[in-house]
Formats: sequence, C-alpha cells, structure tokens
Amino acid sequence: MLPANCPSCHSTLKVKCLKCENCQTEVTGLYDLPVLALLSTEDQQFILRFVINSGSLKEMASELKLSYPTVRNMLNEIINKLKKDEE
Amino acid sequence: MFNPFIRIAGWQAFGLGLVFVIGMGVIGTFSNVSFNGALDAHFVQHMTFSSSFTLLAIDLSSLVLVMWITGLILSKVFRFIDILGTMTLAKAPLLIIAFAGYFNKTIFQNTMPANPLEMFQSVTFLVIMIISLFSMIWSIALMYNAFKISCDVKGSRLTIAFIIALVVSEAVSQLVIYKLM
Repeated sequence: MLPANCPSCHSTLKVKCLKCENCQTEVTGLYDLPVLALLSTEDQQFILRFVINSGSLKEMASELKLSYPTVRNMLNEIINKLKKDEE
Repeated sequence: MFNPFIRIAGWQAFGLGLVFVIGMGVIGTFSNVSFNGALDAHFVQHMTFSSSFTLLAIDLSSLVLVMWITGLILSKVFRFIDILGTMTLAKAPLLIIAFAGYFNKTIFQNTMPANPLEMFQSVTFLVIMIISLFSMIWSIALMYNAFKISCDVKGSRLTIAFIIALVVSEAVSQLVIYKLM
C-alpha cells in the first residue's frame, strides 16, 4: 500500500522520485499521487470490487452480504472523498 | 438488534416486516390491542380483524409516505422500496405489545379509572407498561436507523428531520383515522 499521508504531520505526500528497474534511471520531481491512491486500502478494495462487479451495487451487496442501501452509502462516501480530494 | 438494515433492506425487509405486521394484526385482534397511530398502541375492550388491519395499514402508509417525502427533500438518490421495507421491518418490536395485550386485564383506553394512580397498583400492568415502552423505543430506534440507511442522511440534519417526520406521520395517521373511521 502506497503511503498517502505524512506520518509526522499527516499532510498529503507527493512523489519525489521514480526509478527504472531496468536501467536504474531515476526521475526526480514533485508529482501528485493519483487520486485513487489517496483513498484508504478499504476504499480502494471497494472500488476494485465495484469495477469487477461491472458497477452493479446489487452484485456488490450480495458479495459483501450487506444491504443495497448500505453499499450505496459506502459508494457515496467514497464519491464525497474523491470530490474533496479533487478540489 | 437496533440496526439490521446494514444487512437487510428492500423487498427482503418488506417481506419479513410484513410477516411481523400481519402477526401484529392477528394477535392484536385477539389480545385487543389497537395500533391506532404511527406511534400508538392502546389496550381496548374489543377489536375486530377489519379495524385492526385497517389501522395498521393507515399507520404504515402514513409513516412510509412521510418518511419518503422527507427523504426526497433531504437525499439525492434513494429507493422507495428501501424506505418501505425498512420502515415495515422497524414495526417488528411492536409485536411484543400485541402479545402483552393478552396479559392486560386491568386498564383499557375507553375505561380509564377515575383515579389514574390506580393503574400503578397493578404489578401486571406496570410490567406490561415497561415492556411496551421498551418495544416502542426499540421500534423508534429501528425507524431512525431505517431512515438513516435508506436515505443516507447524517448528523443533525438526520436527527431533526427524523423527529419532525415522525411527529408529522403520527399526526397524518391520526387525521386519516379520524376521517375514515
């Protein structure tokens, strides 16, 4: 799991360096983390399952053994977090 | 116990809730308990099947209708079937009051004693009253969670809207009962 927040002050982390494993080239800069990487592991897992289930909340509810509105509310929370991160 | 709606909602909750509501109608008829209002239950001297089921239908319809309208005002996306199902299932604890009616031999709504304190001299009645109160609180807690999960409303908006909706649904049910019966 890619860390998204600073362990010291909890601010959002940025990517400083990327490395090619083949030729050892290092690209240094200050890059934003992908929006999805800012979400918690649980939220990322939820999105993954949601895509695998073709975006069907009914399928998700059946898989997670939760009610349809509970799963929809979980999705709403993730949408709100993503909207907040986008701002 | 207080929030089964995390796992059950929609048609499934409606089906299960309907079993409890029908049970309330049948048992309430024999135990002379009248559910005459979205938040009401009274011990009466005589109850018929038709009046028992008509009252329950009015109670449930008023509750679902008012909660649905409140949901439309506050929430963006929700399904009517979730409100219908979860609110129907939230009525389940009231079945205990219907059973409690079998043990009430003392006090009836239309024959209140001259001195209301007489009621408290009956231990059976006190026990029935405590059980009924617990059942009513349990049912309200279920309704609260039903509304919260079905409409995805949170915080103070949820609490205020729920209290208003509950009071309005009680008023609507009383008005309909007064006009129709």
